[in-house]
Amino acid sequence: MFRILKKSLKTGVVTGQHPAAAPPEEISTSEAKDKARPFLSSLAFRAVDTGSCNACEMEMNALANPVYDIERFGIHIAASPRHADALVVTGPVTVNMERALKDVYQQTPDPKIVIALGDCAINCGVFKGSYAVTGPVEKHIPVDLRIPGCPPRPAEILKALQELRTGTGSNTD
Amino acid sequence: MTESRSCDAVLTAAFPSIVQKDVVQRECSHFLISKDLLPAITRYLHTQAGLHGRLTLLWAVDNRPAHNTYGLHYLFTLEPSRRWVLLSTELAGNDRLFPSITPHIHAAQWYEREIRDLFGLIPQGHPDLRRLVRHEHWPKGTHPLKKDFPWDHVLGRQQGEHHFRRIEGEGVFEVPVGPIHAGIIEPGHFRFSVAGEPIMQLELHHFWTHRGVEKLFEQHTLIAAVPLAERVSGDTTIGHSLAYCQAIESLLHLEVPRRGRYLRSLFLELERLHNHLGDVGAICNDTAYALPHAHCSRMKEQIMQLNDRLTGSRFLRGVNRVGGVAIDLTAAQLAEIVAEMDRIEQDFSELESIIAHNASLIDRLETTGVLTERTAWDHAVVGVVGRASGLDQDLRRDRPFAAYDELPVKVVNYRYGDVRARMRVRMDEIHESIRLVREIRLKIPQGPVAVEPSCVAQAGEWALSAVEGWRGEILYMVMAGENGTIHRCKVRDPSYANWPAIQQAVLGNIIPDFPLINKSFSLSYAGNDL
Repeated sequence: MFRILKKSLKTGVVTGQHPAAAPPEEISTSEAKDKARPFLSSLAFRAVDTGSCNACEMEMNALANPVYDIERFGIHIAASPRHADALVVTGPVTVNMERALKDVYQQTPDPKIVIALGDCAINCGVFKGSYAVTGPVEKHIPVDLRIPGCPPRPAEILKALQELRTGTGSNTD
Repeated sequence: MTESRSCDAVLTAAFPSIVQKDVVQRECSHFLISKDLLPAITRYLHTQAGLHGRLTLLWAVDNRPAHNTYGLHYLFTLEPSRRWVLLSTELAGNDRLFPSITPHIHAAQWYEREIRDLFGLIPQGHPDLRRLVRHEHWPKGTHPLKKDFPWDHVLGRQQGEHHFRRIEGEGVFEVPVGPIHAGIIEPGHFRFSVAGEPIMQLELHHFWTHRGVEKLFEQHTLIAAVPLAERVSGDTTIGHSLAYCQAIESLLHLEVPRRGRYLRSLFLELERLHNHLGDVGAICNDTAYALPHAHCSRMKEQIMQLNDRLTGSRFLRGVNRVGGVAIDLTAAQLAEIVAEMDRIEQDFSELESIIAHNASLIDRLETTGVLTERTAWDHAVVGVVGRASGLDQDLRRDRPFAAYDELPVKVVNYRYGDVRARMRVRMDEIHESIRLVREIRLKIPQGPVAVEPSCVAQAGEWALSAVEGWRGEILYMVMAGENGTIHRCKVRDPSYANWPAIQQAVLGNIIPDFPLINKSFSLSYAGNDL
């Protein structure tokens, strides 16, 4: 008990202790902003990996750590597409995952937004052209926001999400 | 040396018809055998006292363009001496059958099914010939790693359904999980059969993220494929790129400068640290104990930010290159790393005592998901999972690479094979890695960090390379093609060896413990599916 308390006091608050992110490379369109308006104060996203190398997943998991603490912006990770407002898709869409991606899109209730996270989801990255890759995410489902990077840093993901929802991208510390 | 000669002598005495070949690979014997002898020799290697061969890698090569043959290669590690024995056999170009060794050597099961899917060669006598990599909707007769299959041709879909092994009876029901999971995890399908609470059977259905990595390698030149190797499994960027670079360096006869080798060890240990820290936290989190998870993910973040400051990449991408490393560190940067290590060691030690004093956590971890030493051996399990089940193996000690010949590693070993043992292995390895980083700073010599590749590899030359990544042994086999291209690149992530074992470790456990057991294995889907 005292051990835990001592540890917590010693550690203090670490939230926000990360280098500032560069401004988003791609500004979200006004259409995407309109679609994101219902989720201004609360956004539940479901992560869908359609063939990523798992670096993007690691950075998404990092968003939930005490340093980035994504929940303070009202963003949380849903356990099922049926509870989600947004799909965050990573990786090129592999032949084996194509059907699953389309299913998950159908299962997500409207209104919804789709975010392509990482270079592979946007243009297939190093896996472009392979016999096992059917194409980028937007070939199969409509994409509203693209967050490039291989992988994008957590601070950059936060900034892009904030820019989408508030139009500024400035209030992530 | 006498020991190695005696292994070879024992083999040639038992099987006079086999032909020994010269190899450049160190600590490796190479034999040519006829395919009919395969089951007998592999069984002898595997079971004979004193040899005790563990199937390490099995791969096929399509040599038809030049020689009208397929090559099949079986790599064994002899446990007592850690020596490699490579058995090679050839199939005529129109011969599609080879004898399966799976009935004697369980660990071959996925390799042989994979060869059937990707090359169309059929392992005769294999007990389970369902598709593995190509899911059932792939058209019949399409085998992507054959040389006449175009690398960029996406096939249409056909009808087809995967048939799971079924257990039937009163009160038995199936629980399907995946391919898309509840957390932020990669895709994979698990099919449980349960009666009441305990799991009676688990069957994996993986390879959803199959991206055709091995075929993509063949589109690159030897020098230019490093970025692809870094993206085989993103969390093992250094492990995979190092294994790939080492294979190319032995093909091109490059000697990496000592400072470069030390830096490679340093970065490999940093990668091990941030992944082990993340896993220890995640194991606690899967018992709903969130506090260590928060602390561990904070420490993991500190190391990833350190990586970013040192190299410009949180995953250490772009660090390894053929011939050495692309980034040199100043004395001030090395001091910064060691200072960070000191902080983390203190921080983590405090957390360890919190974890160790939580009786309900330890109670949940003990005897959960037991993988016995025998089952681990039969599945040829590697890395952290193997070391938690009593298999004493670590390539950093057994086949030193990078700078490990000058940096002795204390190999962690536990015998119980439960979730707690796997967590303890990681905890001890965190301390060992921090110690190694300190030692590297003391021992690192001055000098260049890389050499430029000068010569070219002859078509048909090949090299094997092995690296102990944070999960376990990563293997690469690279065969050169014409004009500096890659003819074949076989990639083996440790996940590929360890995934089938999880089906045994969960038996008798309850489904709510599955995420915990799965996390304690902490395997990659991307590295497995390729």
